[in-house]
Amino acid sequence: MKNSDTGSFIVNFNLNGKDVKAEISASTLLLDLIRNTFNMKGTKPGCNEGECGACTVLINDVPVNSCLYLAANINGKTVTTIEGLSCNDGSLSAVQDSLVKNGAVQCGFCTSGMALCIKALMFEYENLVNSKLTGKKPKLTENDVKKWLEGNLCRCTGYVNIIKSALELINNVERKSG
Amino acid sequence: MNTDTKIIGTPVPKHDAGIRVTGKAVYGHDIVLPGMLHGAILRTKYPSATFTIDVSEAKKLPGVACVITADDIDTNNISFKRDHPVIKAGEVNCIRDEIAAVAAETKEIALTALSLIKVKYKKRKGVFDPFEALKPSAPKINKFSIGNFKNKNIAGEFHYEHGNLEKQKKRSKIILTRRFSLPRMTHACMATSNITAAYSQSDGKLLLYSSTQVPFLYQRDMAHALKMNPSDIRIIQPVIGGGFGSKLDMYPFEPICALLSIKTGKPVQILYSREEEFIASPTRQPMIIDLTAGIDSKGNFTFREVNVIKDNGAYTSWGATTPFVIMQAFSSLYKIPACYFHATAVYTNNVFAGSFRGYGNPQATFALERMIDMLADEIGMGKDEIRLINANEQGEITGQGLHYQTCGHRQCLESVIKSSKTKIRTTSNERYKKGIGFASMLHVGGGAKIYRSDGCGSIVKIDPYGFCTIITGANEIGQGSETVLAMIAAEELGIALNKIKVINSDTDIKPWDVGVHASRTSFVAGNSLLGAIKKLKNKLNAKARQLMNEPSADFIYESGYLFSNQTRSKIAIDKVVREMQFTEPNELAIAFYFYEPLSEFQDKEFKGNVSGTYAFASQSIEVEVDTYTGNVRVLNVHVAQDVGKVLNPLLLEGQIHGGVLQGLGYAICEELLMNSGMILNSNFHNYKIPTASDIPEIHFTPIETNDRHGPYGAKGVGEAPLIPTAAAITNAVCNALGIELLELPITPERVLRAINGKQTSRTKKNLTVRNGK
Amino acid sequence: MNFELINPQSFKELFLVLKKLKHRKYRYAAGCTDILIELKRNPEDDLTLVNLSQINDFKFRGISQTKNSVRLGAGVTANDIVRNLNIKLLYPVLWEAAYNLASTQIRQVATIGGNICTASPSGDITCALVSLDATCVIIGVHGKREIRIRDFFEGPRQTALKKGELLYEIIIPGNKKNTVKLFSSFIKIGTRRSMECSVVSIAYHIQIDGFNKILTSGFAIGAVAPTIRFTAKACDFINRKNINALTERDAESFALKVSEYSDPISDIRATRWYREKVLFNLSKSIIEDIIKCQIEVK
Repeated sequence: MKNSDTGSFIVNFNLNGKDVKAEISASTLLLDLIRNTFNMKGTKPGCNEGECGACTVLINDVPVNSCLYLAANINGKTVTTIEGLSCNDGSLSAVQDSLVKNGAVQCGFCTSGMALCIKALMFEYENLVNSKLTGKKPKLTENDVKKWLEGNLCRCTGYVNIIKSALELINNVERKSG
Repeated sequence: MNTDTKIIGTPVPKHDAGIRVTGKAVYGHDIVLPGMLHGAILRTKYPSATFTIDVSEAKKLPGVACVITADDIDTNNISFKRDHPVIKAGEVNCIRDEIAAVAAETKEIALTALSLIKVKYKKRKGVFDPFEALKPSAPKINKFSIGNFKNKNIAGEFHYEHGNLEKQKKRSKIILTRRFSLPRMTHACMATSNITAAYSQSDGKLLLYSSTQVPFLYQRDMAHALKMNPSDIRIIQPVIGGGFGSKLDMYPFEPICALLSIKTGKPVQILYSREEEFIASPTRQPMIIDLTAGIDSKGNFTFREVNVIKDNGAYTSWGATTPFVIMQAFSSLYKIPACYFHATAVYTNNVFAGSFRGYGNPQATFALERMIDMLADEIGMGKDEIRLINANEQGEITGQGLHYQTCGHRQCLESVIKSSKTKIRTTSNERYKKGIGFASMLHVGGGAKIYRSDGCGSIVKIDPYGFCTIITGANEIGQGSETVLAMIAAEELGIALNKIKVINSDTDIKPWDVGVHASRTSFVAGNSLLGAIKKLKNKLNAKARQLMNEPSADFIYESGYLFSNQTRSKIAIDKVVREMQFTEPNELAIAFYFYEPLSEFQDKEFKGNVSGTYAFASQSIEVEVDTYTGNVRVLNVHVAQDVGKVLNPLLLEGQIHGGVLQGLGYAICEELLMNSGMILNSNFHNYKIPTASDIPEIHFTPIETNDRHGPYGAKGVGEAPLIPTAAAITNAVCNALGIELLELPITPERVLRAINGKQTSRTKKNLTVRNGK
Repeated sequence: MNFELINPQSFKELFLVLKKLKHRKYRYAAGCTDILIELKRNPEDDLTLVNLSQINDFKFRGISQTKNSVRLGAGVTANDIVRNLNIKLLYPVLWEAAYNLASTQIRQVATIGGNICTASPSGDITCALVSLDATCVIIGVHGKREIRIRDFFEGPRQTALKKGELLYEIIIPGNKKNTVKLFSSFIKIGTRRSMECSVVSIAYHIQIDGFNKILTSGFAIGAVAPTIRFTAKACDFINRKNINALTERDAESFALKVSEYSDPISDIRATRWYREKVLFNLSKSIIEDIIKCQIEVK
C-alpha cells in the first residue's frame, strides 16, 4: 500500500476468492468499498455505527462490522461477503440453506450479517474441535449461539429460528466430522 | 372447501428467501439509476420556532443540482388530516420538520450543502405535554387543523358507549380507578427509510421506488401532494426491509424526493441515516389511559369507563385512528355489560406518532389486563379463574356489534393456564423472585373496514408451459404473503411451488388492494386469490371436459394434471392451457377476481361488525426479577392463539416469535426518550431493541377454530402475538414482587423504584372503591 | 468524516511520524470501534489519524506470562483475551469483562489499549484491569515510563498520556503464591443482556489461601464516578479477614465503603439514585455470595 501524492491509497486484498485491487481514500470504510467500488450490494448498511451487525463481513474468517473498519487496513487480508458465501455453482451453501429451511428469514435485511456470523461460528467451532487433543467434542449450546449472535439485530424473527438454524447446522457438521 | 389439504398446513420455506440469503434482493438502498442524484433534507434545530432561511451559499456549491425550500414548491398538505406541509414555511412545530432539501451528485456534497444553508430561528416556548396543550392559555399548535372540537389543539375525538354504566356501577362489588402511561416506541426497521424518484420530463410521468405498505393509497396521497394525476404516478416496491406499520403513511421526505426529481429531471434517491430514522420516523402512540373498571361479587366484569389522551404530536397521521382499535379492546375483550370510552388526540410540539403493529391495541390491552389482575387481587380470586369466567364465547355479539362467529378465547386461556401450571408458581428467595402473568387479546382477523373498500384484487394465469403467475394487489414486507399465496395456488391448481411466480410490486400492473395492514393479507388476498382460481378452474374444467370427452366430469388438480373424478383418466394442465389458447375459440388461461370482505362500516356510534372475523390470543409469561437491580428476565412465554387454521406452521411461528419479542421490547426496554421536544436516544446504542441473548423460551400452541369466512378457515395472525405480551410480562413482575406497575417500559430503574416504594410521578389518580354487600 | 491517515509499520516509524506531527492535531486509531463513531457524529477539521493497527510488534500485539506477572500488549484485542485460557483461569474478572464487551464483531477488533485510553467511566476491560491493580507501560518520544492504572485517568476521556506518548503494555501482577481460591468476576448492569454500556459495573478479584483467609483483594467500580475507581478502603476492610468470619453485617459495611467512592451522574441511561442503589446492592451481594460459600464449606 502506497501513500501517493493524491492522499489516496492502493489496497490489495482477496474478495470472495478473487485477488482485487482498489484505490481508496484515508477515510474510506470497508462497507462503502464493497458496496460502491465493488458494487456488491448484499452487505447491508443498517446503522453505520457498529450496533446492528447488518454489515458484517468476514475478514480472515472472523466477523467484523464493515461500517467501522478502515479500508486502509484491509491490505493483504481475505474478505468474505454474502456474495462469496454461496457455493461455486451458485447454489445455496449449508448456512444459507439452513436459514431458508428453518424459516429464519423474514424481511431479510439482517440476513447477510447473520449468515456470515453463523459461518464464522462454524469456523470457530471447528478450531475448537481441532484444538482439543483428547476427550469429547465440545458441545455447542443454545446460549453459545445467542451470545455469538448478540451483535446482530433482527426486528422480524425474534431470533428463534435463526438460532435454531445455527444449532442444526453445527450439529450436522459435528456428525460429519465425527 | 377442500379440507384434505396437501400443501396448506405444511412448513413450506419462504418462497422469496433465496434472494434474501444470497444478498441478491434489491432493497431501496441498493437501487442505482443512471445519472442518479442524492437527496438530503435539512430539518429544524428547534421543535418550535419561526425562522428565515437563506440557501444561496448551498446553491453555489459545485455538484449541487437543486435546493428547495417552501418558497420553491407548490404542494398540498399531506397526512391523514391534510394538516402537514411538505416543506415548512417560516414556522416549525416539531423536531422532525423539513425546512429545505438538496439534490447533489454525491451524498457528501448534499450534506455539505445542507451545512451551508443559513437559518435564523426565533425560538418559541413549545408545548410538550398534551394536558398543557388543552389549557385555554396554550397557543394553537397546528394552524391547518380542521374539525369542530371544543379545544383548538384537539386533532381528533372518538366517543363510544354501550350498556347502562350507572346500573353496572351499582352492581359492582369493587371499583378501581387507575391511570396508565404508555411510551413512544419506534419500529426500528432494520432498513432505514428510503425512496428513489425518477421523473420523466418528456411525458410527465413519475416513477417511485418506495417501501410503502399501501401503494395505492400512497399513489393517491402523492398525487394530492404534488397536484398530479394519480395515474401518472407509478409505484414500484423494492424489497422492503421491515414494515410493522411504519410505512402506512406517506411522509414529507417522499414528495420532497419526487419534487427534487421533477425539478432536476434526474432520478433522485433519499436514504435515511439511522439517526434520521430515529428522529424522523413515526412511533407508536404515547397515551395516558384513565381506566375505571368494576367487578361483581361473583367475579363478573361489570363495566369499563375509559378516557384516553393521546399525544398526537404536531401533525396527524393514520395513527390518529387507533381509537377504532382501542375502543374495540375495551368494549369487546371479555364480556363487558357496559362500556364508556372517550379518546382525544391532542396536538403538541412533539414528534408525531404513526401506526405500529397492534395499532393502539397493545396500549389498551396493557391497561385492561393490568386492571384485571388488580380486580382479581381485590376480590380475592385467581388470575386465571377471573379470566375464564369472563372469556368471550363463540356466537357472541358484543356491545359494539362485533360478531364472533368463531371464538377461541376460552381455548387460548385454558391452553396457556395449563402450560404454565406445570411450572413453579411464585417462588422467592432473597434476591431473585419469580412470577407469572396472564393476558389475552382480541384483534381484527379478517381485515378492518376503515377505508371505502377493504378489498384486494387478484389475477391468476397459467402459461402454455404449465407455470402459474399470481398477480396480486397484496405486497410482501417480509411477513410471507408471497409464500402463502403461492401455496394456495399450488394447493388448488396442483402446480408445483417452483412453477409459481408472484407479481406484487408494481401499481401499473397489479390490481388494487388497500394495503398491508390490520393482519389482513392472508385473509383478504387469500380469499381474493381463491376467487380468481375458482373462475380459472371453471374455464379449464370446461376445456378439459371437451378434450376428454367427459361432459359431466369434475376434476381434481394434482401434480400438474387434471384427474377426472369419474374415470380417473388425466390430462396435463399445460396441455389444457395450450388447447385453450391455440385452438378455437382461442382463450387465455387467465382470470381475475376482486374480493371484498363481508364486513360492515361502523355507524356514527362506532358500532358494527367491522371485520370478516376476529382473532383471539392468550399468553402466560414467567419472569424472574433481580430485586437488587430491578432487571427482569423473561423465562417462558406460552402463547395460544386462535389462528382459525394453520396455513404454514413455519411462517406462522415466525410471526409469533417476532411479535412476542417486539412485545418484550415494549415491556422492558424500548422507549424513544424526549425532553422538550428533542429526541434523546436516536441510535441503537441508547434505543434498545432486544438482542438474541434477551430472548425467552417461546412455546406456541395454535388454536384452530376454522372460520368459514377465512381461506381454509384461517384468520389474520400478524399483529396478535405482540399485543398481550407487555401486559403479561408486567403482570408477572407485579405478581413476583407484590407491587403495582402502571407505566411502560418497566425498566430496571422503574422496577427498583417500585420495590423501594417510590412511585413514579406520571401515574397518580388511583382509587379503590368497595361497595357494601 | 474526513481525515489524514498515517500507517506506521513499526514503532521506529511511529516515533518519526510523531515528531513530524508535533504541531498538528492527531489522534491514535487502533480497533477504530469508538473513534469512527465519534468522527462520523462530530467530524473534526484538520485531523490526522495515526493508525496503530499495522504496527508489527510482537509485544504490542501479544500476551506473555512471566514469573510474577502477565503482560498484555496494548494492541491485544478483546477476543485475544477471550481465547486465552490462562487469563480465564488466573483472572476470571478480566476474561469476563472482555467476553461481555459490546458484541462478537466488536471484540474481534477492539483493543485493550483503546478501551483504556478512551478513558470512559464505563470501560469494561479497564474496570477489570483497575481491580487487578495493573500497571500501564507508556512509551514516547522521550522514553518509557510506568504508571499504576488507577492513576492513569484524570477525568472522563482524560488520561495521563502526554503528547508524543502512547500506551504500550499493561502489566498485571501475578496472583499470590499461596492463593488456592479466587472470587473473581465482572458484574455489568444495563437494560439488555448484550450490547450494553454499563450503568453500573463492578470488577473484583479476591485471593484466598488454604485457610480461607483473604490474602488480598481488588475492587473497581465503573460508570458511577467521573473515572473508574479502585475502592481501596473497601479492600482494606476485608483483606486478611477469614471468609468464615464474614457476616451479613460485614456485607453492609463493605457496601457502604464501596459507595464512598461513587459520585454518579443522572443521564438517559439511569439516574444517580439508581446507580447508587444498585452499586450498594451489588457490592453487598459479593460478600453475601462469599458467605454462601462459607456455609457450603461447613
